[in-house]
Amino acid sequence: MEKKGLLFDIQSYSVHDGPGCRTNVFFIGCPLECRWCANPESWKRKKHIMFAEKVCKYDKGCRACRDTCPKGSIKFDENGKPSLTWSICEDCESFECISLCPNNALKQCVKEYTVDGLMKILKRDFNNWGSEGGVTFSGGDPLMHHDFLYDVLMECKKAHIHTAIETSGFATEENFLKILTNINFAFIDVKNMDTEAHKWGTGVGNELILSNIEALVKSPWRGRLVLRQPTIHDYNDSDENAMKLIEFMKRLDLFEINLLKFHRMGTSKWEQLGKQYEYTDHGDMTDERMIELQNLYLENGIACYIGDDTPF
Amino acid sequence: MNSNESKVQEILKQRGIDTAVVDDVTEADIPEACDRFKKLMDVYYTLKVSADMETPYWYNRIWWENDGDLIEVRRARAVAGGYAHTTPTILPWEKLVMNKTKNVRGAFPFPWVTASFFNAQAEALMNEVDAPAESSADAVSQVGAGGGNVTESYGEIVSLAKKFGMRKEDIPVLVKVSKYWDGISVEDVSTKYGKMLPGYDQFEKVMDSVVVMFDSFAIPQGREVMNYYLPLQYGFDGICDLCDEKIAEFMGEAGDDGILGMSRGYYYAAMKEVCKGLGQWCQNYADRAKDLAARESDPEFKKNYEEIAEVMGNIAHKAPATFREALQLTLCLHYGVVNEDPQSGQSIGRLGQVLQPFYEKDIQDGVTTDEEVIELLELYRIKITCIECFASAGVSGGVLSGNTFNNLSMGGLGYDGLTAVTPLEYLIVEAGMRAQTPQPTLSVLYDEKTPEDFLMKCARCTKLGMGYPAWMNNQTGMNFMLRQYGEEGMDVIDARAWCLGGCLESSPGQFSPLNYNGKITMVPGGASPTCGTGIHFTALPKILELVLTNGVDARTGKEVFPPHNEKIDTYEKMVELWYKYLDLSNQIVNKVNNLQMDIWRKYNMPAVASLLKGGFFTNGQHIGNCGAKYNATINFESCGTVTYINALASIKKNVFDDKTFTLEEMTDAMINNFGFKTAYETGVFSPDFRESTDASEKYEKIFAACINAPKYGNADRYVDDLLVEYEVGMKKYIPTIRSYYGKPLYMCQISVSTHGPQGFVTLASADGRLAGTTYADGSASAAAGTDKNGIYAIFESATVYDHSMCQNAQMNLKIHPTAVKGLTGTRKLLDVVRAYMRKGGFHVQFNVVGSDTLRDAQKKPEAYRDLMVRVAGFTQYWCEIGKPIQDEVIYRTEYDEA
Repeated sequence: MEKKGLLFDIQSYSVHDGPGCRTNVFFIGCPLECRWCANPESWKRKKHIMFAEKVCKYDKGCRACRDTCPKGSIKFDENGKPSLTWSICEDCESFECISLCPNNALKQCVKEYTVDGLMKILKRDFNNWGSEGGVTFSGGDPLMHHDFLYDVLMECKKAHIHTAIETSGFATEENFLKILTNINFAFIDVKNMDTEAHKWGTGVGNELILSNIEALVKSPWRGRLVLRQPTIHDYNDSDENAMKLIEFMKRLDLFEINLLKFHRMGTSKWEQLGKQYEYTDHGDMTDERMIELQNLYLENGIACYIGDDTPF
Repeated sequence: MNSNESKVQEILKQRGIDTAVVDDVTEADIPEACDRFKKLMDVYYTLKVSADMETPYWYNRIWWENDGDLIEVRRARAVAGGYAHTTPTILPWEKLVMNKTKNVRGAFPFPWVTASFFNAQAEALMNEVDAPAESSADAVSQVGAGGGNVTESYGEIVSLAKKFGMRKEDIPVLVKVSKYWDGISVEDVSTKYGKMLPGYDQFEKVMDSVVVMFDSFAIPQGREVMNYYLPLQYGFDGICDLCDEKIAEFMGEAGDDGILGMSRGYYYAAMKEVCKGLGQWCQNYADRAKDLAARESDPEFKKNYEEIAEVMGNIAHKAPATFREALQLTLCLHYGVVNEDPQSGQSIGRLGQVLQPFYEKDIQDGVTTDEEVIELLELYRIKITCIECFASAGVSGGVLSGNTFNNLSMGGLGYDGLTAVTPLEYLIVEAGMRAQTPQPTLSVLYDEKTPEDFLMKCARCTKLGMGYPAWMNNQTGMNFMLRQYGEEGMDVIDARAWCLGGCLESSPGQFSPLNYNGKITMVPGGASPTCGTGIHFTALPKILELVLTNGVDARTGKEVFPPHNEKIDTYEKMVELWYKYLDLSNQIVNKVNNLQMDIWRKYNMPAVASLLKGGFFTNGQHIGNCGAKYNATINFESCGTVTYINALASIKKNVFDDKTFTLEEMTDAMINNFGFKTAYETGVFSPDFRESTDASEKYEKIFAACINAPKYGNADRYVDDLLVEYEVGMKKYIPTIRSYYGKPLYMCQISVSTHGPQGFVTLASADGRLAGTTYADGSASAAAGTDKNGIYAIFESATVYDHSMCQNAQMNLKIHPTAVKGLTGTRKLLDVVRAYMRKGGFHVQFNVVGSDTLRDAQKKPEAYRDLMVRVAGFTQYWCEIGKPIQDEVIYRTEYDEA
């Protein structure tokens, strides 16, 4: 049977996720469940529905989805605002409601791709990237689809396409190395150096991630590795955490890290999925603190980039 | 660069990663504009757009004084005499001088071109009571209400065309001068003969229903490129001497042309008049400056006036001897041309290549510096921004959005086939970055031979968010030239001399040998009359609507085309009927247009433009007599290409392929606006605004099907193939129509701003667009909100056909500033331009500004007086464009918000 990957988005002209202009391929499914996650729709490795209240035109009298759900999931409040019954939608496979929404407020956010189907898009986009760009596999975590992704990587090699990955690094060492050693440019997240704190924030400890990074460094792989950290106040923005990470990087002779200042752009997605978002009023970083952290890394000989301000 | 950035670079360097190629210039690093610029812009922002009667008074007077003289000489005397009598106004701080009129931001009406409006309004104007009803196009055009527009009368000022303010004391002059032209203006004479045409009522019907917008006499010149060569080489006195030689040679000789041969002598006589008038105009400025200097006590101002007097005194007679004189002379010529007719789109052309020899000599001789040259170029921007066009509200707001498209092109290839980029062009970009004004808009003729650092500099400028430079494909443009003008002898060398006329009208050019600084430089310049002025903006989606409604405009209840009474049972049948209606419109509109332009060229032929581009050394004819080298320039302008294609795709899919709905159901849904309130009711023209009514439920299914039908811009061959079919079909059909020059028409695919008013008169369309909202702009951009697969997919869709089949194809993109900021943003912006150019895309331009900013600016225009956006092929102040177009720009998909 032909291998298939589940993607929730393909973004062209992505300019902050690796060198040059890129196409960003988002896989569905993630082994971590971070409390601050900006893409919570990417957790579950299955097709599912999202409801974007902001673009819904109920306030202009639209009721197009009224009788579309055979299981009666869609309910309207006194203002005519629709809401979904998540216990019903969670198990939906048919998505009848989507085709009648003219506003794209109800949308199925995952599509199935074959290796050929995905390569067709990448080869088309190859004409646009310029000399430095390529494809970035992101998610979710692309490692959740390592079988499919491996085949895609082999095809990319044949086509001379530059590949990058954004991953949590949380996978068996075998699967991890199978993918990463065939990638040109890798971002791996290190959310917290304290495994308990890591577990609190993401649901898993950090041992496997750190050992995978070490295994990658010790392998013959010669790609470029940039660590990434979503920086969140009162979670991982202490000097102490930074110093531990610096020691880890020095030990492995790693020299690049990209700190991403915490943002709240995913809030509406939590709501769209019928989930509660806890980081509504805390976690914010000041620009000054970000610069302080950057200085700490720089003093230790590690090139530290903040946000989009990267040299690639 | 801050210290952390350099530390990062150092660490990476030790690791063998070289980041030296990155662009380390941020917005903060761009030097401020010069003091003079800032002072003069402060003045500019306070100026209202003004019309006065000084120049028209003198034109009219001299015209009648010369009653009975040869027409071309009479016309030249009137034009040039008008200039020679215009009061020179010089502001303190100016280095470059001259204005169109005595007002700095001024223009004037041309009753000899169109007088009916003023004559019909004479009494009303005199009584200052309400004006008579506006024409259909005027009533649906919305002029921007902010900035310098005078949209309503106030105090001693009367508002004309919802844009110009005229002082009350000028009104009797306007009324009296207009009377002379009652029944004999270009408009009146051409209408008289037009009415002899069988089917003239068909013409009136398509114009009244706004299926076609605008008459050719409204702006008979423009959409073409200036040619500054002759005066730069010889000076006005020198040209007069040449004219004498030519008169001695040709006067009284027909050669072998029994029809026009004799006209050559008259042409040279007329050109002498033009040179004398232009020279006198300059001399008046010299005298004025001398007078100001004599009365000035501040030594710095005094010296400034003395310099102006010297420059203007020199160029009044002699060929320029410095860069400043050369630039000032081109400005004089530019004003001279844009003042001889109502016009827009008179392009400056490749100025940085024309003036390079002058710049080079001054730098060599050490008489100027780059900073001084940049200062002059900054001041030049103000001078071009001040060019206003006096036209009706429909033309000002509906077509032009208040801009006059004086486009300056850079790059491309030279006479030798190598890159034409000059050192002076870097300074032109630099001045455009420092001194941000809507005009001149800049265009890069992108060629693979264009130096990378020049492209990077241009990309850096595009990033700043003023919308310029726009990017055009040099090879595609050259191929179009060879295709369209091959029969007239266009070869690959002349093809290299092309550039943009107007905002996007590719115009032919030629190289001329400029002998200066001890060497000959082949400089490019325009070689044609207007590359527009054919069948004007034709609303493709509206014609499709009329096919479905059997020829009746459901908005007004009036018949536009005779009923076809055919059963539309196949997709092919529908397209066939669309061509039938289009042809009904085209045949009659073309004839009327030919009459308008023929009357114009016989009685109102270009005077200054004929001096610059007439066949001085070849055939001695003015532009109306095919004096220019290339004359197959007249086009067919389409509007709403993508809306039309999307509507076709929806009908093909939902009605003919899937048979989900019948064509009757589709038509019913369109007439009833899918059950939503119309934009006329809500006043909101944004394509994403939908307010339901009780009827909505009935149309829910069909509306969702229309919205979800395949859309152009997603690399979906289902719909993209329909675009190919359309382009190939039109490429065959349009050239069967002939212009008044006896040459085949071709396709021009820019909407300028007509997608606003023509969308306004169009019912809901099958693509799910609601009644009254704008069409998709340009011809290559996706309809707002319908591009779901990103920028590369749009590029894929846009380039499914060869763009060199048409004069242009227009792609507008909105990019969020974060996508191109930072160290490598410039490179990434250039990458995206290059991606499109490699595919043969003809044109791409960017609005690098966030939607939030635009929304805020719509609420608080006073706080955003200097905010500029790119509309269809030009840059304009946000507060000076109409609301429907503002809504459309806000709603365009924004790339990389994350």
